[in-house]
Amino acid sequence: MAERRLENIAVVFAWLSALLVPALLAVVTGFLLLRGWPSLKVALWFGDTPPLAALLYGAPVFDGIWPACQGTLYLIALVALMAIPLGVASGIFLAEYASGRSKRLFSFCVELLAGIPSILMGLFGFALILFLRRTLAPEANTCLLLSAFCLMLLVLPYLISSTRLAIESLPDALRLTGASLGLSHWQVIRRILLAASAPGIFSGVILAIGRAAEDTAVILMTGVVANAGTPGSLSAKYEALPFHIYYLAAEYQSPAELAQAFASALVLLCLTGLLLLAARRLQARLEIK
Amino acid sequence: MKRFTTRGTRGMTLALICSALLAGAAAAGELDAFAGKKGKIDIAGGTAHIPVMKDAAKHIMQANPEIRISVAAGGSGVGVQKVGEGLVDIGNTGRPLSTEEVAKYGLKSFAFALDGVAVAVSPKNRVANLTAEQVQQIFAGKISNWKSVGGRDAAIHLYTRDEASGTREVFWEKLLKKGVIVETANVVASNGAMKSAVAEDGDAIGYVSIGHLDETIKAPTLDGISPTQENARSGKYPIVRQLYMNTKGTPQGLTAAFITYVMGPDGTAMTAAAGYLPLH
Amino acid sequence: MAARLLYCAAAVSALAVLAILAFLVYFSLPLFQGEQLAALLSWHWRPLQNEFGILPMIAASLALAVSSMLVAYPLALGVCCFAHGLGPDWAARPLLVAVRLMSSVPTVVYGLVAAFSLVPLIRGASSGSGFCWLAALLTLAVLALPTIVLLLDSQFQRVESEIRLTAAALGLTRVQEMLQLTLPLSSRGLALAAILGFGRALGDTLVPLMLAGNAPQPPLSLLDPMRTLTAHIALVVATDSQSAAYNSLFACGLILFLLTVLVNLGLRRIRMGATAHG
Repeated sequence: MAERRLENIAVVFAWLSALLVPALLAVVTGFLLLRGWPSLKVALWFGDTPPLAALLYGAPVFDGIWPACQGTLYLIALVALMAIPLGVASGIFLAEYASGRSKRLFSFCVELLAGIPSILMGLFGFALILFLRRTLAPEANTCLLLSAFCLMLLVLPYLISSTRLAIESLPDALRLTGASLGLSHWQVIRRILLAASAPGIFSGVILAIGRAAEDTAVILMTGVVANAGTPGSLSAKYEALPFHIYYLAAEYQSPAELAQAFASALVLLCLTGLLLLAARRLQARLEIK
Repeated sequence: MKRFTTRGTRGMTLALICSALLAGAAAAGELDAFAGKKGKIDIAGGTAHIPVMKDAAKHIMQANPEIRISVAAGGSGVGVQKVGEGLVDIGNTGRPLSTEEVAKYGLKSFAFALDGVAVAVSPKNRVANLTAEQVQQIFAGKISNWKSVGGRDAAIHLYTRDEASGTREVFWEKLLKKGVIVETANVVASNGAMKSAVAEDGDAIGYVSIGHLDETIKAPTLDGISPTQENARSGKYPIVRQLYMNTKGTPQGLTAAFITYVMGPDGTAMTAAAGYLPLH
Repeated sequence: MAARLLYCAAAVSALAVLAILAFLVYFSLPLFQGEQLAALLSWHWRPLQNEFGILPMIAASLALAVSSMLVAYPLALGVCCFAHGLGPDWAARPLLVAVRLMSSVPTVVYGLVAAFSLVPLIRGASSGSGFCWLAALLTLAVLALPTIVLLLDSQFQRVESEIRLTAAALGLTRVQEMLQLTLPLSSRGLALAAILGFGRALGDTLVPLMLAGNAPQPPLSLLDPMRTLTAHIALVVATDSQSAAYNSLFACGLILFLLTVLVNLGLRRIRMGATAHG
């Protein structure tokens, strides 16, 4: 009887949780839509500047989120450029070449890197600049490149893990077939395994990009500012969407600015949501195989 | 129709055109210093300065898109540290530099505005006046209910600034007379953040630069004196400070041009529009 | 040749971790040399009076992480159980889709929504300002929930694929299968999820920064403001670079790092223990 009681309680609790969770999601998105939808106009992005002038001729935009969007896009591009080769290569290494002690050691390092809080990554970037200024590069400064570098370190574990997982879950038959055809280990990897694990690797790439797009703690310490316009160069200060939202939330000067914060949040949410959908699509393809 | 083309009308039109040209030239003259230049200016520090800095940056960047100006916050302490370490070109402070800071970094100060620091409460709060002593006791945690000072029966929600803030330092030295700010106070990171927090919270009390006062928050009179810029200028309101731009050594190039611009007629107009008292 | 290049690539991640640790230690060294270390271990953060105690921040970080896990974990377990038999079969898929969508919501967006919905709610219902432990706790729980659910889900899937037929043959209902077989068999996965969630909650910066009020005092009441290690680093990051306040930042970073390492070692332990059992 007591067991029955326990079972009933468990079922009731499970139902409550299962109702609560989607309700929370609805509340969050509903709230954002309510407060932000009215501000989703062209003026949100470009302020007073005509959009074509801003897009084509680089006219400076004030009171719009376009520079922040640009900053985020540049960050994503830089992070992808740096992280993909490094992450995929490390993943391949861990899946195919490492063994025994070195494999355990590297795996542990990757896990450790994955567990490092983003604020520490930002602190590291900041300390790096201080160190460089005292030693090698007295002109070093917090900038786009530094942020991209620190974000790359942040998302590297995602890439390494997903690459490794994708390759490790490939059937041995592929490797054996390749070997029987006379291909070297590297040739097997390059020609067969990578192609077969591509969906898994891509989904990891997309998750990494999503993480880089939404992170605020790292960029807070490594070069993002509230007003900078279009990033001029890799060594320039820049704006970014998540920081813009944080900044407006903390110090909006008018109801219009607060509404802009909610609209920007909607934009960021769309970006990360789309990335998630893309990643899921790719993973689904992998699972079908 | 012939009647209107008299010499008088032609003269007037000419005068109009001339004055328009002159006005344009005068305005353009301000920004002439930036014509044809390229480069960047990084500004950081005091949050009270930000409206003026943003405005100036906007005008300059619109006149010359080759120049990039970035404005960051952080507070006066950040301003000193960053400009001293060479991380930014101009470090803004809402307090004078200490002798150690000048000696350590070799900084030059340019005061461009007079500002005050006012106690801020929500417009819903019916308290209209506070004595200096009441403010000291509130921030020390000794008075914790609004009804003790004439408000409704509700707990006082304290908001203060982080330690890098020049606004905080001036408030602490001049109004609190270096008294204690209790540790349970909520900490916000800029004047703008203080304003938003106080505007949202009906039982809040904090402090902001007078330039940040608007209809979303209310500044009760201090010992009967209203915290306005006029009273700040005349000396009646005692909690005042100057706003400084600081550079490492003598400013050069674009930085010098920017400082001249902010202290010139255009910049003075922007300073006044932001709610501060220009010093020139 | 290729192997060597790949080895270098993998070495980079190892080096990165070491570099981060090295920097934290290097910049915290001045602390260990003076009496500043003792100064750090105090309960008062008053830089203007030369007191740099970071104990309130450590306590706050731990308290927030533990409390948010106490809220998030049971909920996550409930959701997962629902999706694995305690609820109707047709509901499992949509529920997990909703959870995945939740996981894509950026932290700053959660902070924004909570700052303008939860905080005023708490402010109205209590005598505090609304920026408090409770606000950060609830938001952090919502933030960590999807991660824990997805982890538990993959764990349950693995176990269920092995025991489903057996359980059916024994005549167990789905509920009984879950409570009496799946859960006990998933003990390792349950522990893993708990620790990972804890690590996630410990390392979050934006939620405490935006919602917890940032008062440097020990967390004694749910409705009082508090400041975590992460928010402390974000707030103090740009003070004078020679002072003890600044060096305390790196001590905070070091402590966070050590806590992270402990969490990871715990995870390792659990995983190793499982493989020993096979």
